[in-house]
Amino acid sequence: MDEKKFHQLQERYNYMRDILAGKNNENLRLLASRMEELAGRMPGLAPAELKEALKTLEDLFNFVEKKIEAELTPMDKVRIVRSPQRVCLRDILENVYDNYTEIGSQGEHSLDPAILIARAYITRRRGKRTINQSVMVIGHEKGHGEEIRNGGSATPWGNAKALHYMKVAETENIPIHTYVFTPGAFPVEDTPGAAQQIAKNLYDMGNIRVPVLSVFSEGGSGGAEAIGLADRRLMFSHGYYSVISPEGGAAIEGNVKKGPRATPELIETCAEQLRLTAEDNLRLGYIDGIIQEPDLGARCHHYDFFRLLRQEVLRATDEIVLGVRGIVPFRNMALRSRRKKTEEGLNMDTVHVRWNLSPSAQERLVERRHRKFRRYSLSAFKDKRNSGNRFRERICDVLSELFYCIRYDLLRSHQQKISNFFGEIHSETSFFFKNQTAPVRRLIGRLFSGTKARKNDAAEKQLTTLSDWSSDQDQRGHWAYVSPKAKEDKAVICPNAATHGCLDMWAPDLYGEFAGVCTHCGHHFPMEYQWYLYNVFDRGSVREFNSDIECGNPNNYAGFDVKIEKAKAATGLKSSCITFDATLNGINLVVAMLVAPFRGGSFGAAEGEKFILASERASRKRQPFLAYVHGTAGIRIQEGVNGVIQMPRCTMAVRRYIDAGGLYLVVYDTNSYAGPVASFLGCSPYQFGIRSSNVGFAGPGVIQETTGVAPAPHYHSVYKAIARGHIQGIWDRREARFNLHQSMMTMGGRNLYYK
Amino acid sequence: MDISDNKVLIANRGEIAIRIIQACRKLGVDFVCVYTAEDAHSGHVRLARELGGPSGLYRISSYHDANELMAVADAAEATAVHPGYGFFAEDYRFARRVMQRDRGIVFIGPSWRVIRELGDKINTKRLARSLGVPTVPGSDRPIYDELEAEELARSLFNFQVQQGIKNPLVLIKASAGGGGMGIEEVQDLDLFRSVYRRVRNYAARQFKDEGVLIEQRIRDFNHLEVQILGDRNARNIVHFGTRNCSIQSTGLQKRVEIAPGFDPSSLSYNFNAQKLMDDITNHSLAMARKVGYDSVGTWEWIVTRNGNPYLMEVNTRIQVENGVSAAIARVKGQSGVDLIAEQIRTGLGDPLGYTQKDISFEGVGIEYRIIAEDPANRFTPWVGRIEKFDWSGLGNEPWLQMYTHVPTDTPYDIPTEFDPNLALGIVWGKDLDEVKARGLQFLDKLRLEGVAGNGAPMKSNLEFLRNKTPDILKF
Repeated sequence: MDEKKFHQLQERYNYMRDILAGKNNENLRLLASRMEELAGRMPGLAPAELKEALKTLEDLFNFVEKKIEAELTPMDKVRIVRSPQRVCLRDILENVYDNYTEIGSQGEHSLDPAILIARAYITRRRGKRTINQSVMVIGHEKGHGEEIRNGGSATPWGNAKALHYMKVAETENIPIHTYVFTPGAFPVEDTPGAAQQIAKNLYDMGNIRVPVLSVFSEGGSGGAEAIGLADRRLMFSHGYYSVISPEGGAAIEGNVKKGPRATPELIETCAEQLRLTAEDNLRLGYIDGIIQEPDLGARCHHYDFFRLLRQEVLRATDEIVLGVRGIVPFRNMALRSRRKKTEEGLNMDTVHVRWNLSPSAQERLVERRHRKFRRYSLSAFKDKRNSGNRFRERICDVLSELFYCIRYDLLRSHQQKISNFFGEIHSETSFFFKNQTAPVRRLIGRLFSGTKARKNDAAEKQLTTLSDWSSDQDQRGHWAYVSPKAKEDKAVICPNAATHGCLDMWAPDLYGEFAGVCTHCGHHFPMEYQWYLYNVFDRGSVREFNSDIECGNPNNYAGFDVKIEKAKAATGLKSSCITFDATLNGINLVVAMLVAPFRGGSFGAAEGEKFILASERASRKRQPFLAYVHGTAGIRIQEGVNGVIQMPRCTMAVRRYIDAGGLYLVVYDTNSYAGPVASFLGCSPYQFGIRSSNVGFAGPGVIQETTGVAPAPHYHSVYKAIARGHIQGIWDRREARFNLHQSMMTMGGRNLYYK
Repeated sequence: MDISDNKVLIANRGEIAIRIIQACRKLGVDFVCVYTAEDAHSGHVRLARELGGPSGLYRISSYHDANELMAVADAAEATAVHPGYGFFAEDYRFARRVMQRDRGIVFIGPSWRVIRELGDKINTKRLARSLGVPTVPGSDRPIYDELEAEELARSLFNFQVQQGIKNPLVLIKASAGGGGMGIEEVQDLDLFRSVYRRVRNYAARQFKDEGVLIEQRIRDFNHLEVQILGDRNARNIVHFGTRNCSIQSTGLQKRVEIAPGFDPSSLSYNFNAQKLMDDITNHSLAMARKVGYDSVGTWEWIVTRNGNPYLMEVNTRIQVENGVSAAIARVKGQSGVDLIAEQIRTGLGDPLGYTQKDISFEGVGIEYRIIAEDPANRFTPWVGRIEKFDWSGLGNEPWLQMYTHVPTDTPYDIPTEFDPNLALGIVWGKDLDEVKARGLQFLDKLRLEGVAGNGAPMKSNLEFLRNKTPDILKF
């Protein structure tokens, strides 16, 4: 018995040593020496004395733990989260829910052991009545370090399964509880690819018509978002929620590609600057509440923690439901009284709120969810539009909404009715008159047979003389924008020369007339974004808007202000997202362009806001919305969760636009990776890749590091992307204009002004 | 203007390279030649070595590699490049590069804008129509719409029926195509849609452009050409008469060319042949003036049996058959006109020095293309070793000019990499009867013997040329 106690203390010591990773030696050394001393004299101690000694030692442990707890750094919390001793989803199912059945897994036999799905219920007692309330529990299972769990890194098909069961929950009208325990998604490109599936998850979860509660322990970027989009988002006090692991951030920050790894100090700073702790995220508004863990993090034996978690989960689910059910004044009253009672220590097990929702409540739920995410990160960028202008813009928005509504919805449907009516009358009468007048016309024809000859003359004229032809459409090598690379007198070697036998091309030809395309094999050399700006849209039609929304440094990431200013000076842009109105063959459209030269096309809060505003503008004007991705490296890591949150945020905006009957087109060029592809870009039903470009989730380096296997050649090529069903077509750059027009004519929903 | 400081890079091989070397010598202009390993025994290599000295010849790996040619130009300090015919002759990008590179040199040929403008068949057709120059009936812009295409085809069929054409035909061509690819004919309007879609899909795949041209398919015609010459800045543009190139192989490669295009003085035609030749000459000149044509070039025409001319295309280069026009031309009464020398001279900036009034024509010329091929077997090229090539039986007749890169003193293996053209024989006579008689005499005296790798005797088109000679210029 006492030996066991001693052993437990030893475990606690090891745990502390692990999470501190060699730091704070003083306290630990004290504990170690005390333990050693006790171990030395243990055989000679009487049971009572031993008990006493152990008690003293345990007190010391508690004292030290408290002391360390007070000094935990963000990186220590990351290590706590990663510890195999940390609670995992199975523990929660055992201790928080009253009954559960795992769906689709039996130990290692599972589609993806990193994803665990369970149908569970919670029993509540109200007086003598017991009520079992069903929920769908979905989460990552780390399995205390079991190898098969892959650390909670879900595969694309694992995420697909999660989405499937969310939809089952929707059908059954029961709430969903998701538990996020993932360092990140498993970066494989299969059928589907990682990004492709996460995008699909986000797109569908935005409109799931049942309450979703998510609880974050380890929120690793895209992998977390795949199941983390929820009406209420809670977080464990020692958890982290971040755009990237501190090590990954440090590697990028320290520009470590090969050779020595980033130093522990740099990683520690990075962890702090990423603002990844629960307090940070609560302050920034990306979570709704913190569930307090015991000192140094929750482990399996912290039964008080499970009780607390149960209370919090019940309360959150109740509140989601109460927030959308019933009539507004009663709803608010109910919520208020509950909040009051909660403060008075209401036990959630003794109240009962039905969790199923009526169709109208479901609608409100989805609307509220959209509004919740729309409000995120609004202070994470610099809005330099002055307030007068902004007010005017708001007024304009409202008025134009009204105008477009009248013009396209009301008038057009009437117009159509009228023209249909007259069309019918015309065809009826002309048929009638044709029959009546046929003999007369024949007679006239015989009398004036000269008309036939005249007609022949006209035909001959048409066949032999110059026809009208505005060669606007016909670009054929006459490009409005010519790359500066076309000014060098040098020969360029095609990367496929060895396999395809391409001759070297002269740079002015290649980057000028050939538009950067190898004439022999069709390889597309990267071109500047200006090339598309000037050559794809109608000349002179591009009008930028919201250029005053600038990207900033919301996390006060050290040294980042300078980098941002440098990027702004070098590119003349204020963010990596340019939004503009344009026309293409006379059709108006709204475009959001992600440009690679501005910090690798990384995507942050400013870009997200501009993107959403653009989609809303397109929706208001009933115009197609094009996301032209000249290149993006992913979410801007220096913005932390302010960046990651753009994934669900923008996806939901796009979803609203699509649901309103628009046409959302995505075109990928050069290299597009990570967050944006795994969300608002990857969710489009109409995605196209420019030839020779790459689309995927993680770059080759990250894949090698996380999976241990180097990716196959051309792993992210658009041809692979189309084969796995991610994109819908591959375009030649020179035909981008034609293909866009073709897409606008053949694709899209009911609410486009030109249809 | 003194052009003798120049050095011309001759970016070609064989017969044309030899003639450019000779023209350079005549003009006192330095030159540098290139050759590939397969061509080491070609006559042009031998001549370049004899006349150009050790620095007059560079070996390259391909005549098609512009980068290598530019490297030679720089190494040899050439100031101009002559592309000959084939290879880069009508490549406006090459012409542009030559001019616009850091060390720019002269492209002996039209300026690159002219090559581009006339190299595009739609552009050429529209230019012609804008000047009232007759073109093949049909569309002059790419058609993308199926209904519009069908409507056009329908009126083309009607148009032909009206003209009394028995079996009207319509051609569908990929507008971005060329070299005979993506062309199909339709003999029945009912079949139009399926053929149209096939061509359109082919064009979309092959040329990345779905546009098609829809034209009348003209059969039973004579192929005429107008030889044009303009000096730099196109201030002075003249013509050197017409040629008739109707005798062709099954693959529509020319085999015999005659200047002038028709001979109304001894043959009778269904139409006014003299007026027709004047018309097409004037049309060609009008277009040349409009685009500012500034080198040698050829306007190609087809002439139907009832005398309707249609402009086909413009060849913006020196042509193989330039010598036959030169043979009948007199400048200020002098014979010995050399169009290649004129091209080089004016290309380097020398003004033309004479006008149309100074150019007159005399007699009839025939150019025979002597080729190792089997006319009985669809003109299949013949490959082997030439052991005897000799026309000394004719003595040194002033009415005959022979241009060849095939040596007459040693055996010659025909390289398989290039076309099997062996020699051009140009015969002149004061009238049609005389030139026909001399032509037959030439073909009779010419000795051409060889043996293939399998021991079979050589095949050539001499017999074919002989059979065609009596009927030349008849339509």
